[in-house]
Amino acid sequence: MAERGFVAKTTLLIRKDLLVETRARDTLPPMLAFCLTVALLLAFSLPGNAVMQDVVEVPIGTVALADVIAGFLWITILFAGLIGFARTFEVERADGALDALLLVPLDRSGLFAAKALSNLVYIAVVEIVLVPVFTLFFTLELGADWLVLVLVIALVDIGFVAIGTLFASLAAQTRSRELILPVLALPSLVPIFIAAVELTSDLFAGGGLGAVAARGWFGILLLFDLVFVTVGALAFEFAVD
Amino acid sequence: MSNSAFRSEQSCIELVGLTVSYGSTLALRPVDLTLYDGVTGLFGPNGAGKSTLLRVLAGLLRPTSGNATLFGEEIRASRESIRRRIGYVGHESGLYARLSVIENLTLFANLYGVASTRVEDVLERLDMSERRTTQVGALSAGLVRRVAVARAVLHEPDVLLLDEPYANLDDDASERVSATVLDWRAPGRVAIIATHGAKRVKAFADAGIIIQRGAVISYRRRTATGYEVAT
Repeated sequence: MAERGFVAKTTLLIRKDLLVETRARDTLPPMLAFCLTVALLLAFSLPGNAVMQDVVEVPIGTVALADVIAGFLWITILFAGLIGFARTFEVERADGALDALLLVPLDRSGLFAAKALSNLVYIAVVEIVLVPVFTLFFTLELGADWLVLVLVIALVDIGFVAIGTLFASLAAQTRSRELILPVLALPSLVPIFIAAVELTSDLFAGGGLGAVAARGWFGILLLFDLVFVTVGALAFEFAVD
Repeated sequence: MSNSAFRSEQSCIELVGLTVSYGSTLALRPVDLTLYDGVTGLFGPNGAGKSTLLRVLAGLLRPTSGNATLFGEEIRASRESIRRRIGYVGHESGLYARLSVIENLTLFANLYGVASTRVEDVLERLDMSERRTTQVGALSAGLVRRVAVARAVLHEPDVLLLDEPYANLDDDASERVSATVLDWRAPGRVAIIATHGAKRVKAFADAGIIIQRGAVISYRRRTATGYEVAT
């Protein structure tokens, strides 16, 4: 039998992760439960008759409602993601499967890609559920700009899962991995989540693709995606070895 | 079970001044060994350093000092040329509890480029064919151990490292594991079987190493007439 290539082996590992998750159900359900609970609580924190163009009084001044809701959305996704990423290597750690995986003839970047893409699937499922819930709770009206929102979410997710997976591999080697992961990952994730909030609030406030593309945050998001994916793929070998 | 058909001659693994420390604890004192093809038993009490030595040989643990080479190449799991030659079973199974026996073995077979007929052969050899669709998490500890050994020999590695492969196995299953190792054994291949119960491995081993408190205190190789001290 001819040996499979990089992409085929990586795909096998992604399928394995998803198959294990469909049977164990110990990553997605906690992420979804967290998101839905937080979304519900946040829905009660804003005035019932508020519209996107309103401003909200905060101790340091006023802030547009669109900014607040964009912040709510991304903070919810951020912490849901960290819940999921903390479990990234749990399935490998449980019975020493990581040792077996580290010995298979596949470049470490393949292991990284498989884990990152599995995480991407989990976070995408969370977002597919969460965004409609936010639309309902906060009466979001994006019209044709939904596609732009999907683009922004996709770009944020790429950097998010890259750096989350890398730090999850480091945290997995410690006893208090659930605590270590946020400590390691959050400082690195600040730039892309600021970009995410800025771009999303533009969309919520009625700015379309033109407004988003004109912002410097779009470029920053692309830059960080490139850096995080590159660093993740290269540093993963040192993290797991 | 034949134990006389093999006379190991080829130097496969060289260890020079190998030490491993965990913090201030010295797990392996300077180890200098040349291991030849064939089956080598690694004996010693719990905590002697057997598992540490196997992990170094698998490339999963970097030595604190010294060198370990496999067929002349430094052992590091990050080297693809090294790791495809190694089959390793540690204390844990290295299997996915939520996947069935056949799903686990097929996954690793596909990753190594091994034909599915080989999976069936190994399952048959270890008498696990009837459990092929059972999830590994639902198997007894002894059966899991057998599947773990199946995974390790699946790609017919040149180096087989087994850490307590007989743990939780009954006599029949132990015989099957031994038979699997002997079936795999060939010139140019080296197996190291770590166990604190020496009797079972001694029956067919070509060499034996006794390790205590991280130091090798005896290394003997089988000869036509008995055993000779090796270095």
